[in-house]
Amino acid sequence: MEQVFEFEGLCGRTLHVWLFINVSNSKDILQKLIGGQLPVECVFVNATLVPDLIVLRAAAHKALTADQRQRLKTKSLHSEMLYNISGSKHIGETLKRFGIAEGSQHLLVARFDASEEDAAAIKAVVAGQPVALEQLHTLTDTATVTKYYKISPEELKIGSLADAILCRIAARDC
Amino acid sequence: MVTVEEPIVSTSGCTLIGQGAEARVWEGMYLGQASILKQRFSKKYRHSTLDAKLTVGRLKQEVRSMLRARKVGVLTPVVQHVDHEASTIYMQKVIGRSIKDVLHEGSLEAEGLKLLMAEVGRILAKIHDGGLVHGDLTTSNMMIRTHDGALVLIDFGLSYNSSVPEDKGVDLYVLERAFTSAHSTQGNLMDMVLESYRHHSSQWSATFNKFAEVRMRGRKRAMLG
Repeated sequence: MEQVFEFEGLCGRTLHVWLFINVSNSKDILQKLIGGQLPVECVFVNATLVPDLIVLRAAAHKALTADQRQRLKTKSLHSEMLYNISGSKHIGETLKRFGIAEGSQHLLVARFDASEEDAAAIKAVVAGQPVALEQLHTLTDTATVTKYYKISPEELKIGSLADAILCRIAARDC
Repeated sequence: MVTVEEPIVSTSGCTLIGQGAEARVWEGMYLGQASILKQRFSKKYRHSTLDAKLTVGRLKQEVRSMLRARKVGVLTPVVQHVDHEASTIYMQKVIGRSIKDVLHEGSLEAEGLKLLMAEVGRILAKIHDGGLVHGDLTTSNMMIRTHDGALVLIDFGLSYNSSVPEDKGVDLYVLERAFTSAHSTQGNLMDMVLESYRHHSSQWSATFNKFAEVRMRGRKRAMLG
């Protein structure tokens, strides 16, 4: 259910990722998140907008690199990761689009360097069905993804959706 | 720990595969994928402020151009990560061979050669119609991917946005020079490329007129007045 990722050149940092489907308490989580009342800091991502885990890992890698150099653009490492998922420089819009919304059904939850207790706390917060991360690609809402990232049909002929998104994440600050 | 000055050195498993006047190219890993790292280094002879400005500007321009080429449907390596502090671009490694190697080997029969040159013409027409000029079209900057035989354009270091026929003409002229200097034994490859370019580009007539002009006078325009 849980998957742990490591990063080359960033010794010791890990990213723990969970996928929950049919989440019923998104509204509640969102309120807690905004009020800062969650037991552990973590990031909630709208799972229908992430076609591949490489997108999540690239965003996390970028956030960790910025954190290491104390160049975060948002208030925390986790919000930086969410900001990095987008191809846009608009932070507020990005958090709204790619983060948790009141009606979110499927959620990707991630936390850097999570301990056993953190994992248990996260599972207690989310009222949804934890499933294997391999199911992620079946949830993708391609129409919205191509709209948000402005991906042309031409581009999809030469590469995958994940490739196109990866390029946009990397090239955002260019 | 990665330091801001020399981040590449501490990245384990990177091997230097080439160095040019502006950048070093390394091979490494990014999130478990084979990756090519292109690191622009600072020129000590330049004033540091100017140097930083030029390096950052060129780095950004290169990434933008690669993205733009992909947007119009021309294959380039996937940009995985851009490290602004280290002025390094991480690109997905393209497994394949450069057209230069393929042509020098001479294993292609006439029909295959024609198809390859037609493909070159097609992707050039595409990027030019999309308002992008590659700036360094040579046979070593085009690769044939092994697993599907697709043509991948690499090295956008000199690339810029332009829809001026003059710039496109110069772009074609640079390629023609590359053909005549490196592959003169192969027959007239440029004609095959142009034939296909004419077929696929909607603005070919303006470009060809300029191309003919550039051919007469060379790449540099005479600066009078």
